[in-house]
Amino acid sequence: MGKIFSVEFMLEIIPDILKGIPYTISIAVVAFFVGISIGFFGAIIKIYKIPVLKKIVGVYVSFVRGTPLLVQILLIYYGIPILLRIINQQFGTTFDVSKIPAMVFMFAAFSISAGAYLTESIRAALLAVDKGQMEAAYSVGMNTFQGMTRIVIPQAIKVGIPVFANFFIGLLKDTSLAFAASVPEIMGRAKIEAGRASRFFEAYIAAALIYWGICILFERLVVVLERKVRKNEGGVEK
Amino acid sequence: MIELKGIHKSFKNLEVLKGVDLTVQEGQTVALIGASGSGKSTLLRCINLLETPDKGKIVIGNYSFDADNMKAAVKREARKRTAMVFQNFGLFENKTALENVTEALIVVKKMAKADAEEVGKQYLEKVGLLGKKDHYPNALSGGQKQRVAIARALALEPKIVLFDEPTSALDPELVQEVLGVIKNISKERVTMLIVTHEMDFAFDVADQVAFMDNGTILEVNTPKELFAHPKNKRTRQFINRYTQRFSYTI
Ligand SMILES: Nc1ncnc2c1ncn2[C@@H]1O[C@H](COP(=O)(O)OP(=O)(O)OP(=O)(O)O)[C@@H](O)[C@H]1O
Ligand SMILES: [Mg+2]
Repeated sequence: MGKIFSVEFMLEIIPDILKGIPYTISIAVVAFFVGISIGFFGAIIKIYKIPVLKKIVGVYVSFVRGTPLLVQILLIYYGIPILLRIINQQFGTTFDVSKIPAMVFMFAAFSISAGAYLTESIRAALLAVDKGQMEAAYSVGMNTFQGMTRIVIPQAIKVGIPVFANFFIGLLKDTSLAFAASVPEIMGRAKIEAGRASRFFEAYIAAALIYWGICILFERLVVVLERKVRKNEGGVEK
Repeated sequence: MIELKGIHKSFKNLEVLKGVDLTVQEGQTVALIGASGSGKSTLLRCINLLETPDKGKIVIGNYSFDADNMKAAVKREARKRTAMVFQNFGLFENKTALENVTEALIVVKKMAKADAEEVGKQYLEKVGLLGKKDHYPNALSGGQKQRVAIARALALEPKIVLFDEPTSALDPELVQEVLGVIKNISKERVTMLIVTHEMDFAFDVADQVAFMDNGTILEVNTPKELFAHPKNKRTRQFINRYTQRFSYTI
Protein backbone atom coordinates (compact mmCIF):
# COMPACT_ATOMS: atom_id res chain seq x y z
CA MET A 1 0.00 0.00 0.00
CA GLY A 2 2.62 2.50 -1.07
CA LYS A 3 0.89 4.87 -3.49
CA ILE A 4 -2.13 6.96 -2.58
CA PHE A 5 -3.57 6.43 -6.05
CA SER A 6 -2.22 3.66 -8.24
CA VAL A 7 -2.78 4.40 -11.93
CA GLU A 8 -1.04 1.13 -12.74
CA PHE A 9 -3.58 -0.86 -10.75
CA MET A 10 -6.44 0.95 -12.37
CA LEU A 11 -5.12 0.23 -15.86
CA GLU A 12 -4.40 -3.34 -14.90
CA ILE A 13 -7.95 -4.11 -13.85
CA ILE A 14 -9.70 -2.29 -16.70
CA PRO A 15 -9.56 -5.27 -19.10
CA ASP A 16 -11.26 -7.45 -16.51
CA ILE A 17 -13.93 -4.86 -15.77
CA LEU A 18 -14.56 -4.47 -19.49
CA LYS A 19 -15.65 -8.12 -19.53
CA GLY A 20 -18.71 -6.95 -17.65
CA ILE A 21 -19.91 -4.88 -20.60
CA PRO A 22 -21.89 -7.67 -22.31
CA TYR A 23 -23.88 -8.17 -19.09
CA THR A 24 -24.50 -4.46 -18.71
CA ILE A 25 -25.54 -3.96 -22.31
CA SER A 26 -27.70 -7.06 -22.54
CA ILE A 27 -29.64 -6.22 -19.38
CA ALA A 28 -30.21 -2.68 -20.62
CA VAL A 29 -31.18 -3.72 -24.14
CA VAL A 30 -33.51 -6.55 -23.08
CA ALA A 31 -35.15 -4.42 -20.40
CA PHE A 32 -35.55 -1.56 -22.85
CA PHE A 33 -37.31 -3.57 -25.54
CA VAL A 34 -39.43 -5.66 -23.20
CA GLY A 35 -40.17 -2.45 -21.32
CA ILE A 36 -41.25 -0.72 -24.55
CA SER A 37 -43.65 -3.58 -25.25
CA ILE A 38 -45.10 -3.57 -21.74
CA GLY A 39 -45.19 0.22 -21.80
CA PHE A 40 -47.02 0.30 -25.10
CA PHE A 41 -49.80 -1.95 -23.83
CA GLY A 42 -49.88 -0.06 -20.55
CA ALA A 43 -50.19 3.23 -22.40
CA ILE A 44 -52.98 1.96 -24.68
CA ILE A 45 -54.85 0.59 -21.66
CA LYS A 46 -54.56 3.94 -19.89
CA ILE A 47 -55.44 6.04 -22.92
CA TYR A 48 -58.48 3.95 -23.89
CA LYS A 49 -59.36 3.59 -20.19
CA ILE A 50 -59.97 -0.16 -20.50
CA PRO A 51 -61.86 -1.25 -17.37
CA VAL A 52 -60.16 -3.51 -14.79
CA LEU A 53 -56.87 -3.55 -16.75
CA LYS A 54 -56.67 0.19 -16.20
CA LYS A 55 -56.68 -0.41 -12.43
CA ILE A 56 -54.04 -3.12 -12.65
CA VAL A 57 -51.76 -0.91 -14.74
CA GLY A 58 -52.30 1.92 -12.26
CA VAL A 59 -51.18 -0.22 -9.30
CA TYR A 60 -48.24 -1.62 -11.27
CA VAL A 61 -46.94 1.80 -12.29
CA SER A 62 -47.49 3.22 -8.84
CA PHE A 63 -45.68 0.33 -7.13
CA VAL A 64 -42.66 0.41 -9.41
CA ARG A 65 -42.34 4.16 -9.22
CA GLY A 66 -42.82 4.13 -5.49
CA THR A 67 -40.15 1.55 -4.59
CA PRO A 68 -36.38 1.61 -5.16
CA LEU A 69 -35.10 -0.42 -8.09
CA LEU A 70 -32.67 -2.22 -5.76
CA VAL A 71 -35.60 -3.43 -3.67
CA GLN A 72 -37.43 -4.64 -6.78
CA ILE A 73 -34.35 -6.52 -7.93
CA LEU A 74 -34.03 -8.26 -4.58
CA LEU A 75 -37.75 -9.02 -4.48
CA ILE A 76 -37.53 -10.73 -7.86
CA TYR A 77 -34.25 -12.45 -7.03
CA TYR A 78 -35.56 -13.97 -3.83
CA GLY A 79 -39.26 -13.95 -4.72
CA ILE A 80 -39.26 -15.99 -7.92
CA PRO A 81 -37.53 -19.01 -6.29
CA ILE A 82 -40.14 -18.97 -3.53
CA LEU A 83 -42.89 -18.71 -6.10
CA LEU A 84 -41.43 -21.67 -7.98
CA ARG A 85 -41.21 -23.71 -4.81
CA ILE A 86 -44.88 -23.02 -4.12
CA ILE A 87 -45.77 -24.03 -7.66
CA ASN A 88 -43.74 -27.22 -7.30
CA GLN A 89 -45.52 -28.03 -4.05
CA GLN A 90 -48.98 -27.28 -5.41
CA PHE A 91 -48.71 -29.01 -8.74
CA GLY A 92 -46.07 -31.62 -8.04
CA THR A 93 -43.80 -30.14 -10.70
CA THR A 94 -40.02 -30.16 -10.37
CA PHE A 95 -38.68 -26.84 -11.64
CA ASP A 96 -35.12 -26.47 -10.46
CA VAL A 97 -34.58 -22.91 -9.35
CA SER A 98 -30.84 -23.31 -9.08
CA LYS A 99 -30.62 -24.00 -12.82
CA ILE A 100 -32.01 -20.56 -13.67
CA PRO A 101 -29.13 -18.16 -14.34
CA ALA A 102 -29.11 -14.95 -12.31
CA MET A 103 -29.30 -13.00 -15.55
CA VAL A 104 -32.84 -14.24 -16.15
CA PHE A 105 -33.91 -12.70 -12.88
CA MET A 106 -32.22 -9.48 -13.90
CA PHE A 107 -33.97 -9.42 -17.26
CA ALA A 108 -37.27 -9.86 -15.46
CA ALA A 109 -36.62 -7.26 -12.78
CA PHE A 110 -35.29 -4.55 -15.09
CA SER A 111 -38.00 -5.20 -17.70
CA ILE A 112 -40.78 -4.91 -15.15
CA SER A 113 -39.30 -1.71 -13.85
CA ALA A 114 -38.71 -0.25 -17.33
CA GLY A 115 -42.23 -1.20 -18.40
CA ALA A 116 -43.76 0.94 -15.69
CA TYR A 117 -41.72 4.04 -16.47
CA LEU A 118 -42.18 3.58 -20.21
CA THR A 119 -45.95 3.21 -19.75
CA GLU A 120 -45.96 6.83 -18.66
CA SER A 121 -43.48 8.05 -21.31
CA ILE A 122 -45.26 6.27 -24.14
CA ARG A 123 -48.60 7.51 -22.95
CA ALA A 124 -47.27 11.07 -22.95
CA ALA A 125 -45.74 10.62 -26.41
CA LEU A 126 -48.98 9.24 -27.86
CA LEU A 127 -51.02 12.03 -26.30
CA ALA A 128 -48.57 14.62 -27.64
CA VAL A 129 -49.71 13.72 -31.15
CA ASP A 130 -52.53 16.04 -32.18
CA LYS A 131 -55.95 14.46 -31.67
CA GLY A 132 -56.88 15.67 -35.14
CA GLN A 133 -54.45 13.15 -36.65
CA MET A 134 -56.54 10.18 -35.55
CA GLU A 135 -59.74 11.91 -36.63
CA ALA A 136 -58.23 12.59 -40.03
CA ALA A 137 -57.30 8.90 -40.25
CA TYR A 138 -60.87 7.91 -39.37
CA SER A 139 -62.27 10.42 -41.83
CA VAL A 140 -60.48 8.75 -44.75
CA GLY A 141 -61.81 5.36 -43.67
CA MET A 142 -58.94 3.92 -41.64
CA ASN A 143 -59.68 1.84 -38.58
CA THR A 144 -58.10 2.45 -35.18
CA PHE A 145 -55.27 -0.02 -35.81
CA GLN A 146 -54.36 1.52 -39.16
CA GLY A 147 -54.55 5.04 -37.79
CA MET A 148 -52.39 4.09 -34.83
CA THR A 149 -49.69 2.19 -36.70
CA ARG A 150 -49.45 4.40 -39.78
CA ILE A 151 -50.14 7.88 -38.47
CA VAL A 152 -50.05 8.27 -34.68
CA ILE A 153 -47.25 5.92 -33.57
CA PRO A 154 -44.67 7.15 -36.11
CA GLN A 155 -45.28 10.69 -34.88
CA ALA A 156 -45.18 9.61 -31.25
CA ILE A 157 -41.83 7.90 -31.78
CA LYS A 158 -40.42 11.12 -33.15
CA VAL A 159 -41.72 13.07 -30.17
CA GLY A 160 -40.48 10.41 -27.79
CA ILE A 161 -36.94 9.78 -29.05
CA PRO A 162 -35.21 12.20 -26.66
CA VAL A 163 -37.18 10.80 -23.71
CA PHE A 164 -36.55 7.18 -24.67
CA ALA A 165 -32.86 7.90 -25.23
CA ASN A 166 -32.56 9.48 -21.80
CA PHE A 167 -34.37 6.56 -20.30
CA PHE A 168 -31.99 4.12 -21.95
CA ILE A 169 -28.98 5.98 -20.59
CA GLY A 170 -30.51 5.84 -17.13
CA LEU A 171 -31.11 2.15 -17.62
CA LEU A 172 -27.48 1.53 -18.62
CA LYS A 173 -26.35 3.07 -15.38
CA ASP A 174 -29.01 1.35 -13.28
CA THR A 175 -27.72 -2.04 -14.42
CA SER A 176 -24.92 -1.47 -11.89
CA LEU A 177 -27.46 -2.55 -9.28
CA ALA A 178 -27.36 -6.06 -10.72
CA PHE A 179 -24.22 -6.67 -8.65
CA ALA A 180 -26.65 -7.16 -5.76
CA ALA A 181 -27.62 -10.44 -7.41
CA SER A 182 -23.95 -11.33 -8.03
CA VAL A 183 -24.14 -10.70 -11.76
CA PRO A 184 -20.60 -10.10 -13.01
CA GLU A 185 -21.37 -6.87 -14.83
CA ILE A 186 -19.15 -3.78 -14.75
CA MET A 187 -19.90 -2.81 -11.17
CA GLY A 188 -19.81 -6.37 -9.89
CA ARG A 189 -16.34 -6.89 -11.35
CA ALA A 190 -15.11 -3.55 -10.09
CA LYS A 191 -16.20 -4.50 -6.59
CA ILE A 192 -14.40 -7.82 -6.77
CA GLU A 193 -11.19 -6.22 -8.02
CA ALA A 194 -11.49 -3.51 -5.41
CA GLY A 195 -11.82 -6.01 -2.61
CA ARG A 196 -9.00 -8.20 -3.93
CA ALA A 197 -6.39 -5.43 -3.73
CA SER A 198 -8.15 -3.20 -1.23
CA ARG A 199 -7.91 -0.40 -3.78
CA PHE A 200 -11.50 0.73 -3.87
CA PHE A 201 -11.10 4.18 -5.33
CA GLU A 202 -9.09 3.02 -8.33
CA ALA A 203 -11.60 0.29 -9.12
CA TYR A 204 -14.57 2.61 -8.93
CA ILE A 205 -12.84 5.29 -11.00
CA ALA A 206 -12.23 2.61 -13.63
CA ALA A 207 -15.90 1.60 -13.52
CA ALA A 208 -17.00 5.22 -13.72
CA LEU A 209 -14.83 5.84 -16.79
CA ILE A 210 -16.23 2.77 -18.50
CA TYR A 211 -19.86 3.75 -17.83
CA TRP A 212 -19.10 7.26 -18.99
CA GLY A 213 -17.53 5.97 -22.19
CA ILE A 214 -20.51 3.76 -22.99
CA CYS A 215 -22.92 6.61 -22.40
CA ILE A 216 -20.94 9.00 -24.58
CA LEU A 217 -20.94 6.45 -27.40
CA PHE A 218 -24.65 5.97 -27.03
CA GLU A 219 -25.36 9.69 -26.99
CA ARG A 220 -23.47 9.99 -30.27
CA LEU A 221 -25.69 7.29 -31.69
CA VAL A 222 -28.81 9.15 -30.60
CA VAL A 223 -27.63 12.34 -32.26
CA VAL A 224 -27.25 10.47 -35.54
CA LEU A 225 -30.65 8.85 -35.10
CA GLU A 226 -32.34 12.14 -34.31
CA ARG A 227 -30.76 13.80 -37.29
CA LYS A 228 -32.14 11.02 -39.46
CA VAL A 229 -35.64 11.35 -38.06
CA ARG A 230 -35.63 15.13 -38.17
CA LYS A 231 -34.49 15.18 -41.77
CA ASN A 232 -38.13 15.48 -42.80
CA GLU A 233 -38.50 18.71 -40.97
CA GLY A 234 -36.61 20.50 -43.66
CA GLY A 235 -39.86 19.91 -45.48
CA VAL A 236 -38.87 17.96 -48.56
CA GLU A 237 -38.38 14.24 -48.75
CA LYS A 238 -34.78 13.43 -49.54
CA MET B 1 -77.64 12.03 -52.90
CA ILE B 2 -77.41 12.22 -49.17
CA GLU B 3 -80.26 12.56 -46.79
CA LEU B 4 -80.39 13.24 -43.07
CA LYS B 5 -83.56 12.45 -41.19
CA GLY B 6 -84.21 13.60 -37.65
CA ILE B 7 -80.62 13.68 -36.47
CA HIS B 8 -80.30 14.18 -32.72
CA LYS B 9 -77.10 14.57 -30.78
CA SER B 10 -76.46 15.55 -27.18
CA PHE B 11 -73.25 16.01 -25.23
CA LYS B 12 -74.09 15.14 -21.64
CA ASN B 13 -77.05 17.44 -20.88
CA LEU B 14 -76.48 19.74 -23.81
CA GLU B 15 -78.73 18.94 -26.75
CA VAL B 16 -76.80 20.21 -29.74
CA LEU B 17 -78.74 18.70 -32.65
CA LYS B 18 -82.48 18.68 -32.19
CA GLY B 19 -83.76 16.75 -35.16
CA VAL B 20 -81.93 17.86 -38.28
CA ASP B 21 -83.40 17.10 -41.69
CA LEU B 22 -81.36 17.92 -44.75
CA THR B 23 -81.02 16.64 -48.28
CA VAL B 24 -78.10 17.25 -50.58
CA GLN B 25 -78.83 16.26 -54.16
CA GLU B 26 -76.19 14.50 -56.20
CA GLY B 27 -73.80 17.00 -57.76
CA GLN B 28 -75.02 19.88 -55.65
CA THR B 29 -73.11 22.21 -53.41
CA VAL B 30 -74.95 23.10 -50.25
CA ALA B 31 -73.63 25.82 -47.95
CA LEU B 32 -74.47 25.45 -44.29
CA ILE B 33 -74.53 28.77 -42.45
CA GLY B 34 -75.51 29.75 -38.95
CA ALA B 35 -74.32 31.36 -35.77
CA SER B 36 -71.40 30.02 -33.79
CA GLY B 37 -72.49 27.17 -31.55
CA SER B 38 -75.60 26.37 -33.59
CA GLY B 39 -74.28 22.84 -34.22
CA LYS B 40 -72.86 23.00 -37.74
CA SER B 41 -69.61 21.19 -36.98
CA THR B 42 -71.41 18.63 -34.88
CA LEU B 43 -73.74 17.92 -37.79
CA LEU B 44 -70.84 17.32 -40.18
CA ARG B 45 -69.12 15.13 -37.62
CA CYS B 46 -72.31 13.10 -37.27
CA ILE B 47 -72.46 12.54 -41.02
CA ASN B 48 -69.05 10.89 -41.16
CA LEU B 49 -69.53 9.46 -37.69
CA LEU B 50 -66.66 11.14 -35.90
CA GLU B 51 -69.56 11.69 -33.51
CA THR B 52 -72.23 9.06 -33.19
CA PRO B 53 -75.74 10.51 -33.55
CA ASP B 54 -78.16 9.56 -30.75
CA LYS B 55 -81.13 9.27 -33.05
CA GLY B 56 -81.93 9.57 -36.71
CA LYS B 57 -81.25 8.08 -40.08
CA ILE B 58 -78.60 8.84 -42.66
CA VAL B 59 -78.72 7.87 -46.32
CA ILE B 60 -75.56 8.17 -48.38
CA GLY B 61 -76.23 7.15 -51.95
CA ASN B 62 -77.47 3.58 -51.77
CA TYR B 63 -76.12 3.05 -48.26
CA SER B 64 -78.35 3.90 -45.36
CA PHE B 65 -77.95 3.40 -41.66
CA ASP B 66 -79.65 4.20 -38.46
CA ALA B 67 -78.32 5.72 -35.25
CA ASP B 68 -79.56 2.61 -33.45
CA ASN B 69 -77.15 0.44 -35.39
CA MET B 70 -73.67 1.90 -35.03
CA LYS B 71 -71.32 -1.02 -35.27
CA ALA B 72 -67.68 -0.40 -36.17
CA ALA B 73 -68.31 -1.91 -39.61
CA VAL B 74 -71.15 0.52 -40.28
CA LYS B 75 -68.95 3.42 -39.29
CA ARG B 76 -66.22 2.29 -41.65
CA GLU B 77 -68.64 1.83 -44.52
CA ALA B 78 -70.12 5.26 -43.92
CA ARG B 79 -66.70 6.86 -43.72
CA LYS B 80 -65.64 5.25 -46.99
CA ARG B 81 -68.51 7.11 -48.63
CA THR B 82 -67.73 10.50 -47.15
CA ALA B 83 -64.67 12.67 -46.90
CA MET B 84 -63.99 15.56 -44.61
CA VAL B 85 -61.96 18.73 -45.02
CA PHE B 86 -61.17 20.12 -41.59
CA GLN B 87 -60.77 23.67 -40.43
CA ASN B 88 -57.25 22.84 -39.21
CA PHE B 89 -56.39 20.81 -42.33
CA GLY B 90 -55.74 17.52 -40.52
CA LEU B 91 -52.96 16.53 -42.88
CA PHE B 92 -50.90 13.54 -41.75
CA GLU B 93 -47.79 15.29 -40.43
CA ASN B 94 -45.54 12.28 -41.06
CA LYS B 95 -46.51 11.98 -44.73
CA THR B 96 -45.62 14.05 -47.78
CA ALA B 97 -48.30 15.85 -49.75
CA LEU B 98 -48.52 12.97 -52.19
CA GLU B 99 -48.54 10.34 -49.44
CA ASN B 100 -51.33 12.22 -47.72
CA VAL B 101 -53.43 11.68 -50.81
CA THR B 102 -52.33 8.10 -51.52
CA GLU B 103 -52.35 6.77 -47.95
CA ALA B 104 -56.04 5.91 -47.77
CA LEU B 105 -56.12 4.76 -51.39
CA ILE B 106 -53.48 2.17 -50.52
CA VAL B 107 -54.54 1.26 -46.98
CA VAL B 108 -58.31 1.54 -47.21
CA LYS B 109 -59.10 1.10 -50.90
CA LYS B 110 -56.29 -1.48 -51.35
CA MET B 111 -55.09 0.18 -54.51
CA ALA B 112 -51.63 -0.79 -55.81
CA LYS B 113 -49.03 1.78 -54.81
CA ALA B 114 -48.16 2.77 -58.36
CA ASP B 115 -51.82 3.27 -59.28
CA ALA B 116 -52.47 5.22 -56.12
CA GLU B 117 -49.56 7.51 -56.96
CA GLU B 118 -50.96 8.15 -60.42
CA VAL B 119 -54.32 9.07 -58.92
CA GLY B 120 -52.63 11.12 -56.22
CA LYS B 121 -50.66 13.15 -58.73
CA GLN B 122 -53.79 13.84 -60.77
CA TYR B 123 -55.54 15.26 -57.75
CA LEU B 124 -52.54 17.30 -56.63
CA GLU B 125 -52.43 18.68 -60.15
CA LYS B 126 -56.09 19.57 -59.87
CA VAL B 127 -55.44 21.72 -56.79
CA GLY B 128 -52.30 23.15 -58.38
CA LEU B 129 -49.79 21.50 -56.06
CA LEU B 130 -48.13 18.78 -58.08
CA GLY B 131 -44.88 20.71 -57.68
CA LYS B 132 -45.11 20.27 -53.90
CA LYS B 133 -45.79 16.55 -53.92
CA ASP B 134 -42.69 15.65 -51.90
CA HIS B 135 -43.15 18.37 -49.31
CA TYR B 136 -44.18 17.56 -45.78
CA PRO B 137 -47.07 19.54 -44.30
CA ASN B 138 -44.77 21.66 -42.16
CA ALA B 139 -43.19 23.01 -45.34
CA LEU B 140 -46.53 24.09 -46.82
CA SER B 141 -48.47 27.30 -46.27
CA GLY B 142 -51.93 27.08 -44.70
CA GLY B 143 -53.57 27.53 -48.08
CA GLN B 144 -51.42 24.83 -49.62
CA LYS B 145 -52.16 22.46 -46.74
CA GLN B 146 -55.86 22.96 -47.23
CA ARG B 147 -55.54 22.35 -50.95
CA VAL B 148 -53.71 19.08 -50.26
CA ALA B 149 -56.49 18.17 -47.82
CA ILE B 150 -59.03 18.85 -50.56
CA ALA B 151 -57.06 16.67 -52.99
CA ARG B 152 -56.96 13.92 -50.35
CA ALA B 153 -60.73 14.13 -49.91
CA LEU B 154 -61.50 14.16 -53.64
CA ALA B 155 -59.17 11.26 -54.41
CA LEU B 156 -61.37 9.00 -52.29
CA GLU B 157 -64.21 9.70 -54.73
CA PRO B 158 -66.69 9.97 -51.89
CA LYS B 159 -70.42 10.39 -52.33
CA ILE B 160 -70.08 13.67 -50.52
CA VAL B 161 -67.27 15.94 -49.40
CA LEU B 162 -67.86 17.69 -46.10
CA PHE B 163 -66.06 20.98 -45.49
CA ASP B 164 -65.95 22.48 -42.01
CA GLU B 165 -65.01 26.13 -42.34
CA PRO B 166 -62.18 25.31 -44.73
CA THR B 167 -60.81 28.86 -44.80
CA SER B 168 -61.35 30.19 -41.30
CA ALA B 169 -57.91 29.13 -40.04
CA LEU B 170 -56.19 30.83 -42.97
CA ASP B 171 -54.48 34.18 -43.24
CA PRO B 172 -56.77 36.50 -45.20
CA GLU B 173 -54.53 36.58 -48.25
CA LEU B 174 -54.70 32.77 -48.54
CA VAL B 175 -58.47 32.46 -48.37
CA GLN B 176 -59.12 33.11 -52.03
CA GLU B 177 -56.77 30.42 -53.36
CA VAL B 178 -58.66 27.80 -51.37
CA LEU B 179 -62.11 29.15 -52.20
CA GLY B 180 -61.03 29.20 -55.86
CA VAL B 181 -60.20 25.50 -55.72
CA ILE B 182 -63.53 24.68 -54.07
CA LYS B 183 -65.37 26.74 -56.66
CA ASN B 184 -63.69 24.79 -59.45
CA ILE B 185 -64.60 21.40 -58.03
CA SER B 186 -68.13 22.62 -57.44
CA LYS B 187 -68.34 23.21 -61.20
CA GLU B 188 -67.39 19.58 -61.72
CA ARG B 189 -70.54 18.61 -59.84
CA VAL B 190 -68.85 17.03 -56.87
CA THR B 191 -71.47 16.72 -54.12
CA MET B 192 -70.47 19.00 -51.27
CA LEU B 193 -71.72 20.26 -47.96
CA ILE B 194 -69.77 23.31 -46.84
CA VAL B 195 -69.96 24.99 -43.46
CA THR B 196 -68.83 28.53 -44.02
CA HIS B 197 -68.90 32.04 -42.67
CA GLU B 198 -67.88 33.39 -46.08
CA MET B 199 -71.29 34.65 -47.22
CA ASP B 200 -70.04 36.00 -50.54
CA PHE B 201 -68.65 32.59 -51.31
CA ALA B 202 -71.86 30.81 -50.29
CA PHE B 203 -73.85 33.16 -52.47
CA ASP B 204 -71.49 32.67 -55.36
CA VAL B 205 -70.93 28.91 -55.30
CA ALA B 206 -73.79 27.13 -53.52
CA ASP B 207 -76.80 25.66 -55.24
CA GLN B 208 -78.64 25.70 -51.93
CA VAL B 209 -77.99 27.47 -48.67
CA ALA B 210 -79.17 25.94 -45.41
CA PHE B 211 -79.51 28.11 -42.34
CA MET B 212 -78.95 26.36 -39.05
CA ASP B 213 -80.02 27.77 -35.74
CA ASN B 214 -79.93 26.25 -32.31
CA GLY B 215 -79.72 22.65 -33.42
CA THR B 216 -82.18 22.61 -36.29
CA ILE B 217 -82.22 23.69 -39.90
CA LEU B 218 -84.66 26.54 -40.14
CA GLU B 219 -84.57 27.34 -43.82
CA VAL B 220 -83.15 25.94 -47.03
CA ASN B 221 -83.29 27.82 -50.28
CA THR B 222 -81.33 29.00 -53.27
CA PRO B 223 -78.78 31.61 -52.27
CA LYS B 224 -80.62 34.34 -54.16
CA GLU B 225 -83.87 33.64 -52.34
CA LEU B 226 -82.38 32.98 -48.93
CA PHE B 227 -80.18 36.05 -48.86
CA ALA B 228 -82.71 38.38 -50.54
CA HIS B 229 -85.95 37.13 -49.03
CA PRO B 230 -85.29 35.14 -45.88
CA LYS B 231 -88.60 33.75 -44.68
CA ASN B 232 -87.70 33.01 -41.10
CA LYS B 233 -87.15 35.80 -38.61
CA ARG B 234 -83.96 34.22 -37.24
CA THR B 235 -82.59 33.83 -40.76
CA ARG B 236 -83.36 37.46 -41.47
CA GLN B 237 -81.53 38.60 -38.35
CA PHE B 238 -78.53 36.49 -39.24
CA ILE B 239 -78.48 37.64 -42.87
CA ASN B 240 -78.91 41.28 -41.88
CA ARG B 241 -75.58 41.24 -40.13
CA TYR B 242 -74.00 40.61 -43.51
CA THR B 243 -76.26 42.88 -45.55
CA GLN B 244 -73.79 45.68 -45.39
CA ARG B 245 -71.27 43.57 -47.22
CA PHE B 246 -73.83 42.04 -49.50
CA SER B 247 -75.11 45.28 -50.96
CA TYR B 248 -71.91 45.31 -52.97
CA THR B 249 -72.16 41.82 -54.34
CA ILE B 250 -75.84 41.44 -55.15
N1 LIG C 1 -67.31 17.00 -27.91
C1 LIG C 1 -68.13 17.90 -27.34
N2 LIG C 1 -68.43 17.82 -26.04
C2 LIG C 1 -69.25 18.70 -25.45
N3 LIG C 1 -69.84 19.72 -26.09
C3 LIG C 1 -69.58 19.87 -27.40
C4 LIG C 1 -68.71 18.97 -28.10
N4 LIG C 1 -68.64 19.37 -29.38
C5 LIG C 1 -69.43 20.46 -29.50
N5 LIG C 1 -70.01 20.77 -28.31
C6 LIG C 1 -70.94 21.88 -28.07
O1 LIG C 1 -71.94 21.79 -29.03
C7 LIG C 1 -72.35 23.09 -29.43
C8 LIG C 1 -72.30 23.19 -30.94
O2 LIG C 1 -70.95 23.11 -31.34
P1 LIG C 1 -70.52 23.11 -32.86
O3 LIG C 1 -69.05 23.04 -32.88
O4 LIG C 1 -71.27 22.07 -33.61
O5 LIG C 1 -71.01 24.54 -33.35
P2 LIG C 1 -70.71 25.29 -34.71
O6 LIG C 1 -72.02 25.66 -35.27
O7 LIG C 1 -69.82 24.49 -35.56
O8 LIG C 1 -69.98 26.60 -34.22
P3 LIG C 1 -68.77 27.40 -34.89
O9 LIG C 1 -69.36 28.25 -35.96
O10 LIG C 1 -68.24 28.21 -33.76
O11 LIG C 1 -67.79 26.40 -35.40
C9 LIG C 1 -71.46 24.07 -28.72
O12 LIG C 1 -72.16 24.58 -27.61
C10 LIG C 1 -70.30 23.24 -28.27
O13 LIG C 1 -69.77 23.73 -27.08
MG1 LIG D 1 -67.79 24.66 -36.16
